[in-house]
Amino acid sequence: MSIFEALRVALTQLWAHKLKSIFSLLGVVIGITFLIAVITVVEGMNRYVQEDFAGSLFGVNTFSVVRRPTVSTGNRSAEERRRLDRNPYPDLDDVEALRNAVPDARYFAYRDARRMREVWHGVRRRRNIRVIGGSEDYQDVQGWKIEEGRGLTPLDQQRGLKVAVIGPEIAEKLFPAGSPLGRQIRLEAHRYEVVGVFERKGGLLGNAWDAAILMPYEAYNQTLSRKRDRVLEISVKTNNESELQVAMDAAEEALRISRGLRPGEENNFYFQTSSGLLSAWETINNILLAAVPGLVSISLVVGGIVIMNIMLVSVTQRTREIGVRKAMGATQRDIMMQFLAESSFISLLGAALGILFGLGLGKLVERFSPLPASIPPWAVATAIALGLLVGLSSGIYPARRASRLNPIDALRYE
Amino acid sequence: MEASTPTVIVTHGLSKEYDMGAEIVHALRGVDIQIRSNEFIAVMGPSGSGKSTLMNVIGCLDTPTAGEYILNGVPVQDLEDDELARIRNREIGFVFQTFNLLPRATALHNVELPLIYAGVKAGERRERAARALGLVSLADRMQHQPNELSGGQRQRVAIARALVNEPSILLADEPTGNLDSSTSAEIMSLFVDLHRQGQTIIMVTHEHDIAEFAERIITLVDGMVASSHATLTTAPFASTAPPVISEP
Ligand SMILES: Nc1ncnc2c1ncn2[C@@H]1O[C@H](COP(=O)(O)OP(=O)(O)OP(=O)(O)O)[C@@H](O)[C@H]1O
Ligand SMILES: [Mg+2]
Repeated sequence: MSIFEALRVALTQLWAHKLKSIFSLLGVVIGITFLIAVITVVEGMNRYVQEDFAGSLFGVNTFSVVRRPTVSTGNRSAEERRRLDRNPYPDLDDVEALRNAVPDARYFAYRDARRMREVWHGVRRRRNIRVIGGSEDYQDVQGWKIEEGRGLTPLDQQRGLKVAVIGPEIAEKLFPAGSPLGRQIRLEAHRYEVVGVFERKGGLLGNAWDAAILMPYEAYNQTLSRKRDRVLEISVKTNNESELQVAMDAAEEALRISRGLRPGEENNFYFQTSSGLLSAWETINNILLAAVPGLVSISLVVGGIVIMNIMLVSVTQRTREIGVRKAMGATQRDIMMQFLAESSFISLLGAALGILFGLGLGKLVERFSPLPASIPPWAVATAIALGLLVGLSSGIYPARRASRLNPIDALRYE
Repeated sequence: MEASTPTVIVTHGLSKEYDMGAEIVHALRGVDIQIRSNEFIAVMGPSGSGKSTLMNVIGCLDTPTAGEYILNGVPVQDLEDDELARIRNREIGFVFQTFNLLPRATALHNVELPLIYAGVKAGERRERAARALGLVSLADRMQHQPNELSGGQRQRVAIARALVNEPSILLADEPTGNLDSSTSAEIMSLFVDLHRQGQTIIMVTHEHDIAEFAERIITLVDGMVASSHATLTTAPFASTAPPVISEP
């Protein structure tokens, strides 16, 4: 008997006992749904952290000098937190020291920033915005793209021109009809000319950036700065990973000297890197991924036991059928195949449903969070392989029992 | 004439015991029979005399505890499971008292069953099964499930199934046991036709008028052959059938 034939018989059987078949699927469906959902979320998180999150905040091969970490990674003692809080903000002196310490950086950028309540154009306003005074390279370090107009130029920077590149949400709000280019915006008592609009970033973090205004550091320093010459962050991007460490060492040395720290005294600044941040995410991922095999195997084992039980009942109920088939010349192998095809089909169907449900859950997560639903092909392949494995291993015992039945005993079974 | 009709079945001292723990049931105690090709045999005897047991052993559904069973020259008692399955598939067509059709399958699919296990391709299978159903006058009931058929029709489906793979012997254990007398007559005329076309048939029955359709009646008593004699049937070879060895 061909596999095709065995599958056909299996299908007929499953169709004839729809309700029973659906129940027997449940365990596998739950297990595979869980597997796919977790992998989808973890992969989504990975992509998000690597592409969106880390990229937009820090970039690859980039380190930043800040007063204290902007994203808290790992546990710090209260004392350490207090010490970090006492650190002074970096300023233009630190910028100079750092610029000299890493002369061949790919990008060298610094910024100050503040939240502001509102920005105006005539009688239109947008509330709750972020204003950034960025140095020349800043928009490149951030990888920000221009949708309309232009970005900031070296000339803007040198002259400290009161020009601004605005986020798409501000552009929409203040200039709903025409182009914002060449128009004026007002922040407190200061006016700036709009020279460009950023591309929309979207996502959780993007939302903040989509309502941001970037202007030359010099202009910011002259008009809106809360504290003269302060910078929030100095970012250095090196050409590759190996240069990153060298640059950080040089930067540390230069900062210590310029800040007059004595040997043995703690650094009063903090280096932030994207890899440091990534490792925090990795820890979360690893915990999630470590939980997967255990939970998935529990539900698959339970699912397998359910299928096995249902198959055993099925063998008992169909003893006469087995007898008839044997009387008509079915070999042990034929009967084995018939029941294995049935259990595998149940289990694979469960796996297929699990993949669909898992993807559905992933899509839900995508809808309500910034994580993209990303399902790698290997996860689908694993799910199918697991389904087949569960089907075969839960079917083997009932199938053997069925195949070993003595034809006459089977026929006589009441 | 004797030389020209080959022997299909020979048994020597065929025994079957059931170990029931407290006692041992001797269902067959040394059965010696010979059956030639194209014979039509009725097996009779009181209830519990071992008729079904003998049929099951001959049909390779059951194995003897002792003795020899040679089918078409092959000593069957030594064969492995798979070889027995092959014999059931190719050499034996079994008709049961209770029909034993697959309840959820159509008549056509039921008849296809032996061909599935013979590895016949789907197209040819359907064609041969349809032809076999035509032979038992059920061409118009192919897509019916057993519960949509009368008892006689069910038994005819079972006969079509038994014949579809052209077995060397047709075995029927009380094929009319569950049928009324007119339906029984239909089935018997079918058997007589098949026999005329050269089919070897062994049939168990309780009823003398049914047994009279056969050429020879083997009577079992207490698991042993009590007698074997030709009937008055006008079947072509009946009078010339060789005397059968029958040990008391
Ligand atoms: N599976 C079994 N286990 C134990 N004893 C059995 C079994 N099958 C048959 N027997 C016994 O073997 C003997 C012969 O049984 P068998 O079914 O061959 O009789 P039979 O001649 O076909 O009877 P009937 O005319 O009632 O069908 C009986 O005594 C029966 O009780
Ligand atoms: Mg009987």
